[in-house]
Amino acid sequence: MLLSLLIWLPVLGAALIGFWPQNLSEQWVKRLALIVSTVLVGQTVWVISQFDLSQSGFQMREILDWIEPLGLSYHLGVDGLSLPLVVLNSLLTWIAIYSSPAKTIRPRLYYVLVLLVNTGVTGAFLAQNLLLFFLFYEVELIPLYLLIAVWGGSKRGYAATKFLIYTAVSGILILAGFLGLTWLGHASSFDYEAVQTVVSTLPLVLQVLLLGVLILGFGIKTPLVPLHTWLPDAYVEASPPIAILLGGVLAKLGTYGLFRFGLGLLPEAWKSIAPLLAVWAVVIVMYGALAAIAQHDIKRMVAYSSIGHMGYVLLGGAALTELSIVGAVSQMVAHGFILALLFYLVGIIETKVGTRELSALNGLMSPVRGLPLVSALLVLGGMASAGIPGLVGFIAEFLVFQGSYAVFSWQTLLCVVGTGFTAVYFVILLNRTCFGRLDSALAYYPKVVWSERFPALLLAVAILFLGVQPYWLVHWSEPTTAAMAQMAAAYETAPNLMSVKAVAQSFTDLTNRDSLSTNL
Amino acid sequence: MQTLDKPTTLPPSTHEFAEIIHRLEAGGAMLPDSPENLMQIIGIYKAYAVPMDFYWRDLLYIAENVFLNPLPFFKYFLPQEYLDLHNHYAGDDADLRIWRGEATAHPELLEFMEKGETGKMPKLFHHLFHDRINMEFAEACMQAMLWHGRDMGWGQFDGYLDSDEYRANADRAIKAYLKYNPPMLALYKLFPDMFLEQCRMMSYTANLGLFWEVMAPVFFEMSDIFDEGGFKGVPDAMNFLVNGIFAISGRPIYHHVYVRGECFEIIPKSKGFMWLYEAALPYVEAVFYRTAPFRGTKSYNAQAGQVPTEQKDFHYGILYADVFPVGSAGIPPTLLMQDMLHFLPPYLVEYYQQHCRGEDDMLIQLGITFQRSMYCVTSAVIQALRQALLYPLDDPNPKHLMANRAFFEAQIDRFKRPEARLRDVQSQNYR
Repeated sequence: MLLSLLIWLPVLGAALIGFWPQNLSEQWVKRLALIVSTVLVGQTVWVISQFDLSQSGFQMREILDWIEPLGLSYHLGVDGLSLPLVVLNSLLTWIAIYSSPAKTIRPRLYYVLVLLVNTGVTGAFLAQNLLLFFLFYEVELIPLYLLIAVWGGSKRGYAATKFLIYTAVSGILILAGFLGLTWLGHASSFDYEAVQTVVSTLPLVLQVLLLGVLILGFGIKTPLVPLHTWLPDAYVEASPPIAILLGGVLAKLGTYGLFRFGLGLLPEAWKSIAPLLAVWAVVIVMYGALAAIAQHDIKRMVAYSSIGHMGYVLLGGAALTELSIVGAVSQMVAHGFILALLFYLVGIIETKVGTRELSALNGLMSPVRGLPLVSALLVLGGMASAGIPGLVGFIAEFLVFQGSYAVFSWQTLLCVVGTGFTAVYFVILLNRTCFGRLDSALAYYPKVVWSERFPALLLAVAILFLGVQPYWLVHWSEPTTAAMAQMAAAYETAPNLMSVKAVAQSFTDLTNRDSLSTNL
Repeated sequence: MQTLDKPTTLPPSTHEFAEIIHRLEAGGAMLPDSPENLMQIIGIYKAYAVPMDFYWRDLLYIAENVFLNPLPFFKYFLPQEYLDLHNHYAGDDADLRIWRGEATAHPELLEFMEKGETGKMPKLFHHLFHDRINMEFAEACMQAMLWHGRDMGWGQFDGYLDSDEYRANADRAIKAYLKYNPPMLALYKLFPDMFLEQCRMMSYTANLGLFWEVMAPVFFEMSDIFDEGGFKGVPDAMNFLVNGIFAISGRPIYHHVYVRGECFEIIPKSKGFMWLYEAALPYVEAVFYRTAPFRGTKSYNAQAGQVPTEQKDFHYGILYADVFPVGSAGIPPTLLMQDMLHFLPPYLVEYYQQHCRGEDDMLIQLGITFQRSMYCVTSAVIQALRQALLYPLDDPNPKHLMANRAFFEAQIDRFKRPEARLRDVQSQNYR
């Protein structure tokens, strides 16, 4: 019941706001949504308190048959992979609602959609049935499309349609992958464990093909270069609170899918293409960083930064060591916090200064007429993103690099160089935006009040705290990620298609020998 | 000086700032005439006059008593004697009573010196916590005058500093001052020019002190007149300044040093250096127009030609400055702004609270008000110069009026450069 509450509470809240019989003022709509999301955060804390750190598998399971002939069941569970992301989702939803403008068009619809997005994402993180996952995965699509299309920037229509098309294709690919896994493996249902047990019976080539389909599907969502072209438009055109959700949480749905279903269901295939994934990770890191350097719009710069950072997650997953996988999961969480902070601050700058153009911004660190705290936190966010020690970004990236170097040394080194590029574009951003001279003839920016500073401070505290106390970041997922690494390690040598044939041959030989001995 | 009501008979000016030229020709100021501008400039004059009352007293104390002290730790600790020193232009015993108030230090100044922002405590703590009047600003202005004065070649004061007579006077004072200090005397023997240069700086310190001794009562009086409803507009205020300038233009500029009770006249009053030409005009040129290219966070690359090669082309004064507080002495007048903040009249505080970020950016708002007020003072100086060197504004001879116009246009040409805030102060939205 605990997990169901996480999913259905926002739906109830959305229904309450949507169907409230009387006219509700904008303020009250926001307050109601905030109350719901606050309860949700409290509920998440309760789930954390009930989480057993000694277990690597799913906990707090809820199983309910739904459409049995289809193999669809309402099967929920949480483990070390999904728990941090569920927490991230609840927290960022609260921040998104809190930071939404007091005056907005169609406030009821807006907050209903935000809460539905939360439901879809939480449901996807908790679903232990492939079809159920797919349903939740699709549930967040339309609300997000509307949130961009209605409340977005000047090119919102284009950005929202692009997002819709890409994500719909992503859904189709994921569904195809799931159907392939279940049907070709003759699984009894779409339940995660049912599919997991039969997948290993599939030929490796088929596994690799199905993994490819899943990687494409989740790669669009993450997004992985070159499937990323929807992202800069969507992130830039979305309003700041929605950009927080998009960058902070939605992208994690893609990486979560890669780890849960790519690595979790097809470890052998995953291992066989791991070198390829590591090279891909390098391309992503480099492309994201270099593209960010070339940007003139700070929001777009942060968006490309986000693309680059997904490369570290992929590298960690590809290396398949205990350390690299826990690093990858940590990177998902760290990236969520950092990106949310950066998007939030960029949103404040845009609101107060009226531009996001690097060429127009200057001297915001000015203590009297600038946005000094916003600038200071932007520096902190940039440092965290660039992996400066003492901040959460460093912990995640260091774990990934430490865990990956032994397996993919040059790829890891190139990714470290990519971190250097991250520092380059953040120095450009910070130098032009925060430092320099604020011209008194231009600077009549409204003051940033404490209520506006609060979410940024909250995120900054999380970034700092997890940076100096990384135990609180990694220990939730350590048992699960260790189990994932061990599962992959079961395939002793990094297999390729030829070696799989050899293994199969030796297995056949062994069977024959056994039968021979039996005959004897 | 009269303000003209009738339009000029000349054709319209084709100058970039034709509107301002016409305003000056009509007896107005560079600052537009509006009740808001009047209220702002008078309010800030009052807030400026209180720290200025400290500045002039301390400048004279430094020039006359601290003099060549190699470790002048306590030069900002004004002795009671100088707090009680009578201003020559205020009080009952004034040479020329400009302000109707007291000749001794202003009561608001005394109150602030005692309590500061933090509360009552020993003077040393106020000093160390920087909870005091920022004399660093006054000294930076003096240094600007000294540095540019060496270059300007105006008047006779600066030239006198290189004369044999000055050297002889200074030598006497220096030797008397160092009489019981053999190491310093030995140093003076070895490096006499070093001590002489320090003495020149002290002469400029006295010069600025004597200049501000006049300006403080002028500003106090303007504030009182405004409170009584006396000024009808910005031109009225400017004319008060012009009249004041002429009334005390002949005030002698001198430098006396007191060593163990004996007075050494390094620059005697008898030299006849006049306040207007040897103090006021060099001050306006050095501080309002030129100063130095060190404006806090803005870096200048001299090798890339970002700093003019000629000192006369410097344009970093208050009329050009971005007044964002950068914490440095001099211009932008960060420290002066901090000083003025303590003495704002209530109507100005209320005004600032209604604009921009209210109390949070009051420092900048008052800095920009100060900039406006200095455009008014500069207008007064320009009008005074025109009156002294050229023709009346209502002169019937068109050639004379054309000469006046040429003068005004030449003055305003200095504000054509993009950094000049003349364009900005035309709008009330520049805050």
